Amino acid sequence: MKEGDIFNQQFTATRTIYEGFLEIFKDRNPMHTDASFALAKGYQDVILHGNILGGFLSYFIGECLPIKNVMIIGQKTDFHNPFFVGDELMLSAKIKYISEATGVVDFKYSFVNQENKKIAKGTIQIKLL
Amino acid sequence: MTVQDVLGQFNQIFIDVLDEEDIVLTLDSTADDVEDWDSLTHIQLVVAIEKHFKVTFTTAEIENYENVGQMCNGVLEKLTAQTA
Repeated sequence: MKEGDIFNQQFTATRTIYEGFLEIFKDRNPMHTDASFALAKGYQDVILHGNILGGFLSYFIGECLPIKNVMIIGQKTDFHNPFFVGDELMLSAKIKYISEATGVVDFKYSFVNQENKKIAKGTIQIKLL
Repeated sequence: MTVQDVLGQFNQIFIDVLDEEDIVLTLDSTADDVEDWDSLTHIQLVVAIEKHFKVTFTTAEIENYENVGQMCNGVLEKLTAQTA
């Protein structure tokens, strides 16, 4: 891996992921569970939990990089737009900095949906073990 | 640039990385003197210092620095070498 490398990974916000997150973490806020409530707030449907993106990022770092000896040591996410069951999310992550001395790699990433609308962006810092 | 200049910039980096407004470093400061300066944040501090000053350390250098002053001087030496 070197600075400037870009990785792309597609994810589907499936109903299974949505319901699994609900079941495991019990965040049943009406924005996530009551369509008429979400509609009244101006959204087309219930919105999915933003922290599902953390799961996608975990998969990306843990499974999609060419090396396995990695650990996430820092992460920042800015949520720009909601996403919904069935959305296709494209993660694009670019290596911004590699510190040879510390074995740290800094990524800048973004998620866009099937309409190329930005869903979230942020940074993620990993350490090579 | 003097070592005191470097120390001042270090102080701001420590404030930003450790998210602690009241950090006041001295050249003798060590991890024992600064709250939240642990093995993980040490890595993040080193990376932030490298980026800020546009210098790179070696693993040996990082392991040998005993306090903030030694690290400041290390940065100063690298900056001086860059402009030599």
